[in-house]
Amino acid sequence: MKKAIEITNLNHQYSDGTISLEDVSVSVDEGEMVAVIGQNGAGKTTLFLHLNGSIKSSDNNVLIFGEDIGTMSAEERICRVGVVFQDPDDQLFMPTVYDDVAFGPTNMGLSKEEIDRRVKEALETVGLSGFEDRVPHHMSYGQKKRAALAAVLSMKPKILIFDEPTANLDPKSRSLFIRLINDLNKNNGITTIVAMHDVNAVPSVAERVIVLNGKVVADGTPQEIFSDINLLEENYLEVPEICKMFCILGCYGCRCDTVPLTMEEAALALDKMTGENGGSAVIMRDEDTSEKVKGTICRFSL
Amino acid sequence: MKYPDIDKYAEMNSPIHHIEPRIKIISFGILIVAAVFAGSIRAASLFLILAVLILILSRLPFRFILKRVKVICVFVVPILVLMPLTVPGTPLFSAGILVFSKEGLLFAVLVAVRSVAAIILVITMLGTQRFDTTLKALSMLYVPGIIIQMLLFTYRYIYVMIDEFMKILSSMQAKGYRFRFNRHGLSMTGNLIGMLLIKSYERAERVYQAMISKGYTGKPISFSSFKITGTDCLFCSVAIIAASGIYIIYPGLL
Repeated sequence: MKKAIEITNLNHQYSDGTISLEDVSVSVDEGEMVAVIGQNGAGKTTLFLHLNGSIKSSDNNVLIFGEDIGTMSAEERICRVGVVFQDPDDQLFMPTVYDDVAFGPTNMGLSKEEIDRRVKEALETVGLSGFEDRVPHHMSYGQKKRAALAAVLSMKPKILIFDEPTANLDPKSRSLFIRLINDLNKNNGITTIVAMHDVNAVPSVAERVIVLNGKVVADGTPQEIFSDINLLEENYLEVPEICKMFCILGCYGCRCDTVPLTMEEAALALDKMTGENGGSAVIMRDEDTSEKVKGTICRFSL
Repeated sequence: MKYPDIDKYAEMNSPIHHIEPRIKIISFGILIVAAVFAGSIRAASLFLILAVLILILSRLPFRFILKRVKVICVFVVPILVLMPLTVPGTPLFSAGILVFSKEGLLFAVLVAVRSVAAIILVITMLGTQRFDTTLKALSMLYVPGIIIQMLLFTYRYIYVMIDEFMKILSSMQAKGYRFRFNRHGLSMTGNLIGMLLIKSYERAERVYQAMISKGYTGKPISFSSFKITGTDCLFCSVAIIAASGIYIIYPGLL
């Protein structure tokens, strides 16, 4: 498998001396979907700014498809890595949606026809066809967020980076956006990296989770990461609600080998549980139950 | 959120709305310069009449224009009062040491008529097309890219700033703040403006990073396809003829 991103021993500190990244080494395969989680100020955004060359590392240790991002020209850079920032108002800086989505392709030196085609296609992908002449200040937050994604998609990047994609979105926009991210990864084979606090969404977008706290604290499947309660506690992270629910069920004697993290996994786990028990699952309460429940609730409250 | 959009009525249907943006800017530009340099009250009044005629033709709501013309009055009214007092000449009447001169009053009226004519023309021009269209047209008229980009960002972020200002203000009001013209009130207003400045500085950094990540290299960006028609040329010719006509009838520049 080709390596899309290869970072070796990346260090970064702010001008006031605060260390934001320390010895970070990450390698991501082409087509992979990775979630980066970590508390506020863990260095996620700084890491992302290194990936698209906004911050240049002096050690030339950020390789994108085997090439050093620091030495790439602006045109090369933007068609390899696209970043969707957290606040769409930062990203939509042109007066109309069309101008914004066309901004990247224009900088790539494409023809007018090609730019028009790409703008149309990108807006169609995010479900904003017909929004070309709209001005960002008359759009909803969810629409602005999708327009910001379209503005990145129009550059046809091979790697897409999302900084807190679900922050401040209403439930419908949130699930729409998650579906979009998933589709882009599955159907177009775009390597995707997502930073998020929304742990309930992490298992449904990522096959691999990296815990960042200045350095890479852990790297594994969602199952591995979310079953390590100590690791989560140390990094002020939460487990998905479904996972908590099954831990409570465990106190009532409903145990399963792997704790489910998504709704689909929950259904599978219940199927397995009932299958093994002749079509039913038993919830039992004994003298230890209330102690166990208390302990579980205590463990999960930060 | 209600914004004070200058281009709120840009989607209306009128002969003025349909003029090609570049031609509109050139024609209105000629008229505005001519109105500002009119040498006599009569010439200036003709420009004012012309401006009002164009305004009627543009079908822009009268209240919309009036609200914006009011702003210019802040400058015009003091001139109307001060000029007769400071320009020496034939006294109209006097009150104690204050002498109102006829020349001063005429000059003040001239300035007022000229500025009202000019501001009506400016608002009609800006109000009948979207602001981004105006900027694109300016860019195609070879206005330096740096100025276009500055205007572009001002236009885009003024709304974000309004939102941020309102957010800070409402959170201040939620904690019981009411503006009073005293030391405390002023220092709170100072804090508000300071917060806004810091926020905009931080945002500027983030916007710049977003621009870099979309391959920004400092080149001006403009995409537009405007087409000049016969009607546009006719409008421009009429504007030039009207401006020169007024100068022929009432010669003299200021």
